[in-house]
Amino acid sequence: MINFEEELKKYHPSLEIDEAEDAIYNQDLTDMADLLVNMIKDAKDAEN
Amino acid sequence: MKCFQCGCELSDKDFCTGCGADVKLYKKIMHVANRFYNDGLNKAGVRDLSGAIVSLRQALKFNKNHVEARNLLGLVYFEMGETVAALSEWVISKNIRSQKNIADDYINEVQSNPARLETINQTVKKYNQALSYCYTESNDLAIIQLKKVVSLNPRFVKAHQLLALLYMNGEEWEKAQRTLKKSLKIDVNNTTTLRYLKEVEFMLEGDETAGIKKKKSNVSKDAVTYQSGNETIIQPISPKEPIVGASTIFNVVIGMAIGLAVCYFLIVPARVQSARAEADEQLRLISENSDEKTAQITDLEQRVEALTDENAKLQEQVVSYTGEGGALQTVDGLLETARKYIHNPEELDGVSDDLYELDRGYVENGASEAYKALYDELLAQVGDKIADDCFKEGNSLKNQGDYSDAIELLEKAWYFKNTDAEILYVLAETYQESENMNKALELYNQLITDFPDSEYADMAQQNIADAATVGNRGGGENNENDPGQTGGDDDRTNGGLNGGNNTTAGANNGNNP
Repeated sequence: MINFEEELKKYHPSLEIDEAEDAIYNQDLTDMADLLVNMIKDAKDAEN
Repeated sequence: MKCFQCGCELSDKDFCTGCGADVKLYKKIMHVANRFYNDGLNKAGVRDLSGAIVSLRQALKFNKNHVEARNLLGLVYFEMGETVAALSEWVISKNIRSQKNIADDYINEVQSNPARLETINQTVKKYNQALSYCYTESNDLAIIQLKKVVSLNPRFVKAHQLLALLYMNGEEWEKAQRTLKKSLKIDVNNTTTLRYLKEVEFMLEGDETAGIKKKKSNVSKDAVTYQSGNETIIQPISPKEPIVGASTIFNVVIGMAIGLAVCYFLIVPARVQSARAEADEQLRLISENSDEKTAQITDLEQRVEALTDENAKLQEQVVSYTGEGGALQTVDGLLETARKYIHNPEELDGVSDDLYELDRGYVENGASEAYKALYDELLAQVGDKIADDCFKEGNSLKNQGDYSDAIELLEKAWYFKNTDAEILYVLAETYQESENMNKALELYNQLITDFPDSEYADMAQQNIADAATVGNRGGGENNENDPGQTGGDDDRTNGGLNGGNNTTAGANNGNNP
């Protein structure tokens, strides 16, 4: 049985066009490749 | 694929040929990203948009520079009505690869139509407004707003889902089902949509099951069942037929109502106008007839009035003929007089009275020739004799001093014989003696005029002169106020006149045969 109140919490306001710029800037673009590069870099730093 | 450290193009080796960096793990990451992209692409191909979004996001988590995955993600967002998210992905994609990027075309496509962009923005605002209504439990307003949203942007899956959720909350299961099916046509494998739909179908199924159970229970109660060999036969219940009949009757009634409405609004006004025009025409004709009749009535009234006047005149004429003193009575009187005379020629008293009483004016003016002839004949036969008798008797009465009876007889004598100057003279004398000098003078003057050569004319002149003399003398003595003297004059005057009269009488007597 679907709970209306609980389901309603899953809905969030949609982005308006004015807010698109902020959304683009605030988007987290970190990917697995970045993590790998960071990990390799950290590992090299630790060796040194 | 390029080396993450030096940017050289990688070969099939596990290290970079340019810088020698270990790229084995990096290559695996890139392969995983491509795998997710391919998965997303397949899902998008079968309109599993939500599944495609998940796969493409995974691909981008492994490789943020995967331009195709980002462009496809933007396209999927756009297809689901989330234009701002789509634009964001396309903008990032264009930022990663500024040349030869299809995202550039997508952005231009959206931005080239400001009206559509504005509509999209309005749609998003209304959706957010509807969501805020939901939070404030104004579900009816939220439904209204969401209906507008899905009409403006029919591909907005989240709006469909929220609208379905509201319908479900209001237990409008069929509406929710319709909305969810529309949503499924856009995104065929959306987990939320399918979950809602399952719930809705479950609820609808429950209703149908309850309905079927109810029907079955009715069948079991009312149906007649019996066993025929191995088969159980259930006799169908007939009362289903009337439902069809009632529907037909209902449709017929609606059809009749529509027909009546058409008649009332289209045919009746035309008929009413036609009838009104006809009535006006009839009224005009009646008015014309009425005017004509009124004129006829007026004419007839005038004719009636004229005929009434004519009738009154004729009545008067009839009365003048048949009434007292009328022509008919006069004729009858003359005939009666003639009959009396013929019956007894010696008895003239009645004849004289009758003739004397006849209207002399009628005889002279209005009587017929026959009447006049009879009258003249009768007068010629008896007139002289009657006149002589009356004169004798009247003269005798005059001498006796009975002037009133004498005048009556003398007038009668003059009536029957108006060619005798003596009768007129004696009549005038009688008036003089009866102290009616005016009448006496009138008759003396008539005598002088009508019989100028007669001896009575001279006598009449003498009497007039004497009367004038006596009058003058009487006037002078009256001025001396001597009553005794005046009385003496009167006696003498009277005596003189009387003497004259006596002389005249003597003369008359001498003339009288």
